[in-house]
Amino acid sequence: MKNNMASKAIKFLEAHESETSSRFTEEATWRKENASWLRWSRQLAVILIGYMQDNGLKRADLALRLGVTPQYVSKLLSGTENLSIKSIANIEDRLGISCLIMANA
Amino acid sequence: MKFVRIIPKYDHLWSVKAPDEEVDELTLLFRKWNNAEYLLDFFIENFEDLKSFFKIERLDQAVEDTMKDAEALEELILEFPYTENLDQLFKPLDITDTRMSELTREKARNWDRDRHASWLRIYAIRLEPNVYVVTGGAIKLSRTMQDRKHTAHELDKLNRCKAYLKLNGVFDQASFVELTNEE
Repeated sequence: MKNNMASKAIKFLEAHESETSSRFTEEATWRKENASWLRWSRQLAVILIGYMQDNGLKRADLALRLGVTPQYVSKLLSGTENLSIKSIANIEDRLGISCLIMANA
Repeated sequence: MKFVRIIPKYDHLWSVKAPDEEVDELTLLFRKWNNAEYLLDFFIENFEDLKSFFKIERLDQAVEDTMKDAEALEELILEFPYTENLDQLFKPLDITDTRMSELTREKARNWDRDRHASWLRIYAIRLEPNVYVVTGGAIKLSRTMQDRKHTAHELDKLNRCKAYLKLNGVFDQASFVELTNEE
């Protein structure tokens, strides 16, 4: 049924198809396949956002407290950074919080 | 106006690809919704709406809810049963978009969200049953799309895409009549 009906619309879309393919499926599949560690990374970003709000901090302030560059703060806040345990421990020490416990809460 | 096919080998879901963007609208949307930094900026800018319409005062909660919601919505689009039944995922934008008329404006969201209604929207034009072109999307915190600049912009994109398709005679009245008879 779909083939009969879709023909005119589909032909139009195909005739006006961009040379750049969609990246949606590829990126969504990547997010799905990496969901386990991405969830941790996102949770850390959420914790940092909460910390910033509670302490009235902007990105530059957070960078200062963490002893990192604002660019690195952007990476942390993206929620897609694959951080080492050492990096997480550094954040915990600098901010006086416990990320792993908060992420599990 | 250019279009891209979302799921390889399937004809039902397409997206507009703006000439000045690296990727299509749907890809762009999920990149934004999966970036906590982008979401933080958005909710800071729209904090009053978050408080007044959703009674949420925590930025971390807003960001977390959005990312979880985006994950669920993405799953709906990726999952095979839903990609074959897009008419269940999308619903007419408003009362003027009844599916008896041509090229209707539609919205998709995660309809089964807990705690508060989902504020994520994917906007699309329905060309035919189960055939959609995504024009964009938004985090909608206000009552109507006209209420805020970013949602009004999305409404404009919907209307422009509809007008473009109409101008190019995409709508096939004969096959539409045939379909309504079959249904």
